Amino acid sequence: MNIIYKRDLLAYFRTPVGYVFMGVFLTLSGLIFYLYNLQNLSGDLLTFLSQLTLLVMLLCPLLTMRLICEERQKRTDQLILTSPVALGSVVTGKYLAAATVMLLTILLTNVYTLIIALCGRVYMGEWFVGYLGFSLQSLAFLALDLFVTCFAKNQMTGAIAAFGANFLLWMADLLADHLPVAWMSECLNFVSLYERYEPFRLGQLSYSGILFFVSFIACCLVAATRVMDARRFSEGGAA
Amino acid sequence: MIEIQNVSRRYGSVQALTNVSLKVEQGSVLGLLGQNGAGKTTLLNILTGYLAPTEGRVLIDGCDPLLEPAQAKRYLGYLPEHPPLYDEMTVREYLMFAAELKGVEKRAIRAHVDEVMELTGLTAMRSRMLGHLSKGYRQRAGMAQALCGDPDVLVLDEPTVGLDPMQITEIRGLIRTLGKGRTIVFSSHILSEVQQLCDHVVILDSGVIRLDAPLQSVGEKDEITLLVTIAAAESSIVSKLRQLDGVRRVTVQPTAHVDQTTALVTFYRQNEPERRLFGLLSNLGMPLLHLSRVEDTLEQVFMNAVSGGGKTR
Ligand SMILES: Nc1ncnc2c1ncn2[C@@H]1O[C@H](COP(=O)(O)OP(=O)(O)OP(=O)(O)O)[C@@H](O)[C@H]1O
Ligand SMILES: [Mg+2]
Repeated sequence: MNIIYKRDLLAYFRTPVGYVFMGVFLTLSGLIFYLYNLQNLSGDLLTFLSQLTLLVMLLCPLLTMRLICEERQKRTDQLILTSPVALGSVVTGKYLAAATVMLLTILLTNVYTLIIALCGRVYMGEWFVGYLGFSLQSLAFLALDLFVTCFAKNQMTGAIAAFGANFLLWMADLLADHLPVAWMSECLNFVSLYERYEPFRLGQLSYSGILFFVSFIACCLVAATRVMDARRFSEGGAA
Repeated sequence: MIEIQNVSRRYGSVQALTNVSLKVEQGSVLGLLGQNGAGKTTLLNILTGYLAPTEGRVLIDGCDPLLEPAQAKRYLGYLPEHPPLYDEMTVREYLMFAAELKGVEKRAIRAHVDEVMELTGLTAMRSRMLGHLSKGYRQRAGMAQALCGDPDVLVLDEPTVGLDPMQITEIRGLIRTLGKGRTIVFSSHILSEVQQLCDHVVILDSGVIRLDAPLQSVGEKDEITLLVTIAAAESSIVSKLRQLDGVRRVTVQPTAHVDQTTALVTFYRQNEPERRLFGLLSNLGMPLLHLSRVEDTLEQVFMNAVSGGGKTR
C-alpha cells in the first residue's frame, strides 16, 4: 500500500495534473473568496467553504481519472496486478495519494482564513468544524469518483462519468423531495452528500455526519476493489 | 512448477483459448509459438493472474494466482506484450518501485536494482525518464522490471520484438543465462529463436494447442534425409543408392539435365550417412555435385501443425 501510495503521489507532481488541480482550485476559490467575502466585507468562513463544494465536484474527477484509467490505458496495471500486492491495498494506496493532494489543497485555502483573521475574527471552533466537514465531504467525493472511474477504460469517459455521479449524489435530496415513493426518497436523502454536509455548514459538529462520510468512503473503496477484481473475468484487460 | 489445467477464455463472443492444458517443469524453458491472434498473450496474461480464465485454472508452485495471489506471484516476473512503464519515472526509480512491489527487502533494493540494470544494459540510462527511452530500451526496461525480485518463474511475451539485431542477440543471451535454474515461459513468432533457446515447445493455433513436445524430438526424428546431385544418369545410380546400407528410401527429383540426377536419400538414423554416400560414389567414380542435409526444421513442423490441424504429438 505504501509503495503504491508513494508512486502515485510522485506521479501527481511529476505530471502537470497535481499542479493543475491545485492551481485551478486555489485560483477559483480565490475568486469566490474575493466575490463573496471581500466584496461583501463578510467574515463568514463557513459559507465560503460550502461554496467550494462545486469546485470539489468539478475537479475531483481530474484527480481520480488517472489513478485507474491511465494505468489501464498504458497497461502499467499489468505490473501491479501481477505483483504480490493485494488489490485492496492497491486501491487504498491510490486513494490515499489522491486524498493527500486534496487535503494539501484544502490546507492551502487557509490563506483565506488568514486574511479573514487579519481583518476580522475567526472562531477556532467554527474553523475546525467547517474544515472538518468540508474535508470529509471532499474525501467522500474523491472515493466516489475513484469507484466510478473503475468502470471506465478511458480517462475522459471516467472523468465525465465521475462528474455525473458527483452531481447526482449532491442533488439527491432535491430529487428526493419530488419522489412520490416514500422509501425511495428516504434512500436518496440518506445518500445525499449535501444533506450530510449541512450541519457542518451551519457550524454544528455532526457525529452521524462523520460516521456517514467515513463509512461512505470505506464502501466506495471496497466496491472499487470488487470492480477491479471482477474485471479480470469480464474484460480483456487493456484494449 | 507451472500447471495450466483445462483453461478456456472467451472475450465476449471471441473464443481466444479452448481447453488448454500445459505443464512446465521446474528449470525448463518453454517456447510458446503461434501466429498473430493465436492466443499467446491471452494465455500468458492468464498464467500471471492478470486475467481470469473463463474455465479451468492455473497453478504456480501449487498456488492459484487468483485465490492465493501473494504466494503465487511472489516469485513471478512478467514482461507483458507492452512493457508496463510509467513514463514520468526514471529508469532507476521505476526499477526500485518494481523491486519493492516484488517484496525485495528494503536494504537490498539498491544493490539489487544496480545488478538488474547491469544485466539488462540499462546502467547508462539510469536517470533517464522512461518516457524518453527508445523502443529497444523500453523493452529492456520491461525486461529489467521482470527480473526484479529474482523470480523463479519468468514469463516473457515476445521479449525480442522491436529490438535491433545486436540487442536481440543480447536478450537471447540473457534468456539463456537466466534459463539456468529458472523456469521460463516465453512467446514468440520467430521460430529460430525458439529453436535456439527452448527445451520445450508448444504451438498454439486459434486458441488450441497443436503441439507440445520437448525440442530434441521435434525435427530430430529417427531418419536423416540428404539432398544429393550426382553427375550420372538416373538409371545408372538410383538402384545402387537403394541398395546402399542404411538407406530407407530414395525419391528422385526432377532435373533439367539428362546426365544429372537429383534425389532425396533418406537414411535410418545413424552416424555419418554422408560418408557412406561419398564412399559409394567414389567407388563408382561418379562426381558428386551437391550434397546437403535436409533438416526437418521447426518451421516445417510449425507449418504442419498450424495447417494440418487437430493433430497433437
Ligand atoms: N480485449 C480483447 N477483447 C476482445 N478480443 C480480444 C481481446 N484481446 C484479445 N482478443 C482476441 O483474442 C484472440 C487472441 O489474442 P492474443 O492477443 O492472445 O493473440 P496473440 O497470440 O498474442 O497474438 P500476437 O502474436 O499478435 O501478439 C485474438 O483473436 C484477439 O482478437
Ligand atoms: Mg501477443
